[in-house]
Amino acid sequence: MIRGIWDRETVALLLLCASLPIMVTWFLAEGWGAVARLVFVTLCIGIWQLIWMLARAQPPSFAVLLTALAIVILAPENLGALQLVLGVSLGIVFGELAFGGWGRNILNPATVTLAFLGFGFPGAPWPELPIQLGWAAIPAALVAAWFGVVSARLLLGAGVVFAAAVWIDPGLLELWPTVLIVLVLLVADPVASASTPVGAWVNGALYAGFVALFHATWQGSADVQMAVSAAFLVSLAVPLIDEAIVSLWVAQRRRKLD
Amino acid sequence: MLWNRQTGLTVDVRGPVPAAHVPVEHNITEEAALSASADDDLRVTMLVDEDQLVAQGAPIFRLRHHPDIVQVAPMAGRVAVVDLAPGRRLSEIRFFHENDGDRHQYAPNAAHKSGDALRLLLMESGLWLALRSRPFGRAPLPGEEPAAIFIAGLDTKPLAPNPALSVKGREEDVARGIAQLLRLTHGPVYLCQAGDAGEGFAEFAPNDRIRRLKVAPVHPWGLPGFLVHQHHPATLSRPVWDIHLEDVAAIGALFATGLVPQTRLISFAGPAVTDARLLRCQPGADLRSLCYGRVTHGPHIALSGSPLEGRARRWLGARDRQVSVMNAGASDQRDHWLVSALKQASRPRPIIPTAAIERALGGALPALALLRALAVGDRETATRLGALSLVGEDLTLADYVTCAAPRHSALLDNMLREIAKEEAS
Repeated sequence: MIRGIWDRETVALLLLCASLPIMVTWFLAEGWGAVARLVFVTLCIGIWQLIWMLARAQPPSFAVLLTALAIVILAPENLGALQLVLGVSLGIVFGELAFGGWGRNILNPATVTLAFLGFGFPGAPWPELPIQLGWAAIPAALVAAWFGVVSARLLLGAGVVFAAAVWIDPGLLELWPTVLIVLVLLVADPVASASTPVGAWVNGALYAGFVALFHATWQGSADVQMAVSAAFLVSLAVPLIDEAIVSLWVAQRRRKLD
Repeated sequence: MLWNRQTGLTVDVRGPVPAAHVPVEHNITEEAALSASADDDLRVTMLVDEDQLVAQGAPIFRLRHHPDIVQVAPMAGRVAVVDLAPGRRLSEIRFFHENDGDRHQYAPNAAHKSGDALRLLLMESGLWLALRSRPFGRAPLPGEEPAAIFIAGLDTKPLAPNPALSVKGREEDVARGIAQLLRLTHGPVYLCQAGDAGEGFAEFAPNDRIRRLKVAPVHPWGLPGFLVHQHHPATLSRPVWDIHLEDVAAIGALFATGLVPQTRLISFAGPAVTDARLLRCQPGADLRSLCYGRVTHGPHIALSGSPLEGRARRWLGARDRQVSVMNAGASDQRDHWLVSALKQASRPRPIIPTAAIERALGGALPALALLRALAVGDRETATRLGALSLVGEDLTLADYVTCAAPRHSALLDNMLREIAKEEAS
């Protein structure tokens, strides 16, 4: 019998390839310091992966690089090495490894890390993302959606609601690079996003809706802070969204067949 | 509608493809066998002895728990070996071909009189075993009445022969067969055909219970499971049967001539084949004989079935209409011991939701929810999502796409077996 290639690591590698435009653009914008930070966070996550591999026989994954990339781009600035290690350790252990590794987790470990860093060290300023990073996120999203490793419905759902929100409040348009980067790196993670087709639309729409809500009501907050908070809240709601959609499907089917 | 699109995937299998316009070759192999695996748990009462001459279509054994159901000889010949496992479980009954052998004649006239007589004729002639009942994917019980019957008039498995070719020129047999199927149920009979097929055979037996389904010719929609799931889901109290179009023609031919067909149309293809063709051979044909002179040099494996779900075996399976010959070299490469140990420890392997998985289940149901329910053995959720309409072969495309270990098709079969056992007790 023949076997296909779409196992966990293939998906992780495809996501990594799709993220290359973001990674390269970010390196060009931030210089060697960014490379060093990425290596540091990757090493930190890698050590935890190694510990869990030896203790629990959990195979490590290439997805470690995706998590590290999202953390170093979106993490608050001016954090010391210890603070970063603390945040990354908490995020990777409680967000991913405790569930059994990438593929079994329900929250994106980078989202958990960023939420912890945001709540734990409120004095650290959130970064302002360069606009070219937003442009780089467009090919990343298109490549990932083309290969089917990211839900196109989720991206479209977010796009439609964000466009509607911009039509109501034009000031929201300034946030688009941040909203897009967080969408691609955190919200669209295939493991932590909705797995049902309708759920993916709701997932994307809810994210853009939260961003618009925070922009309208949360005075003095940074763009990245709003987007990461929206991503975190949405990821908490995703299992509920999927469950509701499946229940609706079952009810609709029962009605149709009775 | 939350899910209503018929999507699927095209699996690109390397190697020559059987051309529909090339004349079909008849190939009755010198040996053939009726075989069963341990999982089938087929307990039988033999009706013949070793070294006995049998006619084609003559009764060979009865099922021990349902003595009315009979299996017949796939060809005229001598019974060479009867291999039964403890408990009279069928392992293998092998036949040697005799050129001047007879064909067993049945008397179909009595079957016109009543439904019971029709059932009895189908059971005695072995054609009852061509029917498959859902839930559980086994031959129907003798007294079972289906809520609907699906006729598989298309097959979208990679390299599969087109069922319409197998009944070319036998339209009257098909019409006669459909008329008999209508007598087996009070529900509808669905004739499933490719969307681009013509009007088909239903006009020969006009009846308002015949429903023609035009199906997108994309895998997995050519499998009856997804069509049953979509149009007439099977439940424990409302079983649904399915049958291949060629077997419907066989029922029609039985009523016309009293004879059981000698051959079935199969495709012989795969990456290790030099000459992919459509063949007509007997059920249980010898795959080694079929491969002789038609495969490339080097190690190869002959699968009974499609490349997705076929099993390496000597004899053509009871429901199989494909022989897929694969290169054997690649499977010899082994992982490093640590990688192998980690893979083993992380079973069931995590499934990452992708568009490919959704397509592998045809867009017909919440794919990830079903696969996760199977992986953790959650029978209640799997049943709620429609698992009772499916059988293992319906999930082989998902297995192919996800490289799942253990395979979801095996998990579904095990789950159905457990449900059946509970229902029986």
